[in-house]
Amino acid sequence: MVSIMQVDRSFIREVEERSGQRFGACFHCMACSGGCPVSDIMDYLPNQIVRMMQLGLRKEVLESRAIWVCVGCYSCVSQCPNRIHIPYMMDALRELALEEGVKIGEPDIWTFHREFLKQVDKRGRVYELEFMARYKLSTMSLFSDMGSGMKMLLNGRLELFPHTVKKLHEVRKIREVCYGKK
Amino acid sequence: MEKNDVKSGVESVPHPRIYYYPGCSLMSTARDLGDSLFQMARLVGSWLEELKDWNCCGASPAHSVNQNYALLLAGRNLVLAERQGIRDLFVICPSCFVRLRTAEKTLIAEPDKNDLLEEAVGKRYQGSVRLRFFLEVGSASQMNVFREAVINPLKGLKGVLYFGCLLTRPEWITGFDVLPYEDELRSFVEALGVETLDWGYGKQCCGAHLALTKPDHVDTLVDRIRDHARRVGANCMISFCPLCQVNMELRGKNSEPLPVFYVSELIGMACRLPRTEKWIRKHLVDPRELLAEHNLL
Repeated sequence: MVSIMQVDRSFIREVEERSGQRFGACFHCMACSGGCPVSDIMDYLPNQIVRMMQLGLRKEVLESRAIWVCVGCYSCVSQCPNRIHIPYMMDALRELALEEGVKIGEPDIWTFHREFLKQVDKRGRVYELEFMARYKLSTMSLFSDMGSGMKMLLNGRLELFPHTVKKLHEVRKIREVCYGKK
Repeated sequence: MEKNDVKSGVESVPHPRIYYYPGCSLMSTARDLGDSLFQMARLVGSWLEELKDWNCCGASPAHSVNQNYALLLAGRNLVLAERQGIRDLFVICPSCFVRLRTAEKTLIAEPDKNDLLEEAVGKRYQGSVRLRFFLEVGSASQMNVFREAVINPLKGLKGVLYFGCLLTRPEWITGFDVLPYEDELRSFVEALGVETLDWGYGKQCCGAHLALTKPDHVDTLVDRIRDHARRVGANCMISFCPLCQVNMELRGKNSEPLPVFYVSELIGMACRLPRTEKWIRKHLVDPRELLAEHNLL
């Protein structure tokens, strides 16, 4: 007879290693999910992600929308009776998803992060005006939300000129060290 | 006579130099916060000096996709502060504060991460910088300076304190004792003449960067929070974070807008600091009508 319970433990161990968390401590009390402000737009609740990792569902977790929707507000961490740091878990999962090149569950949110970090790489700081324009361009949503953007611009709430870090080579080197040479 | 009180308060402080980490939003989306902070520092006779050549702390995107990247971006600022001989570095934005604090703790606890930092910027972080949130500028004695300088008590403003996610959370990173800290902020705001109202949404997330990627959901979150503020009878909200402030004024569709003040702006108005009018105009929900109604302008 074939055992139907051959669970792949390598996935959860990898996430534990990267995030510094021990998921064996999870009661599945759902405190994290109950307090999560963005659970409405998640496909799986935070504690369901933990359960799926325990069941070795690597692909389903890494391709989920939930891991991208988490904004890291730390509400779950404050509520967890075992102090499991769910946002660190989400960080580790996104990192893995990108490394393994799986289908990204929330492409727009990934684009947002990518465009933001391009700004960091370009100047060492974020030039919000260009960042927003580039995000809009790459998600083909140039004209949505135009009203609020214009409002911020007219109220003097968006900087018109960018600032650049002087020792930009240091910031670039940081990128190299973390991502390998381009 | 009241003016004299202000002066004596100023003289009791020996013009300390305050080094600060502005963060990307301070001169841009949070310009009103920046302006009011500078005026506030002047009131206690301090000299604000920017951390030279600072870089972005990495914000949410960096830790979201590459934890080392987040660590080293924040870490470079710590090394800069150390090179510049800064002991206390004041951070304006709660989100930057959490990023820098997290990096500080990790670099000290995990020497291999400090190795990475050395590889990137040529220097390890030694651990000599004390990171502090800008409101800590008001050490007990300086808070008294603000209190004494109130010449325009903000009577008529009924506000809810909107701490946001990261002001105190998680406490083992921020180092704040949450409830006493919040009480202190409350009594300080009350000392400015604002009536603070009890409510349950002070630490509900505004949706943060999802405002760009999931605007509909952020509208829902903001509406829920603002609706509650309205229900307890607030005519304004008081915020501590640049991102919360923008989301709270800009987002939400089904609740009547409320002006959202930074705590530093309240100090500015209550003490009639110069150029108040200038930053008041930068709000996305114009507070001037409310202020005029209570003769506070």
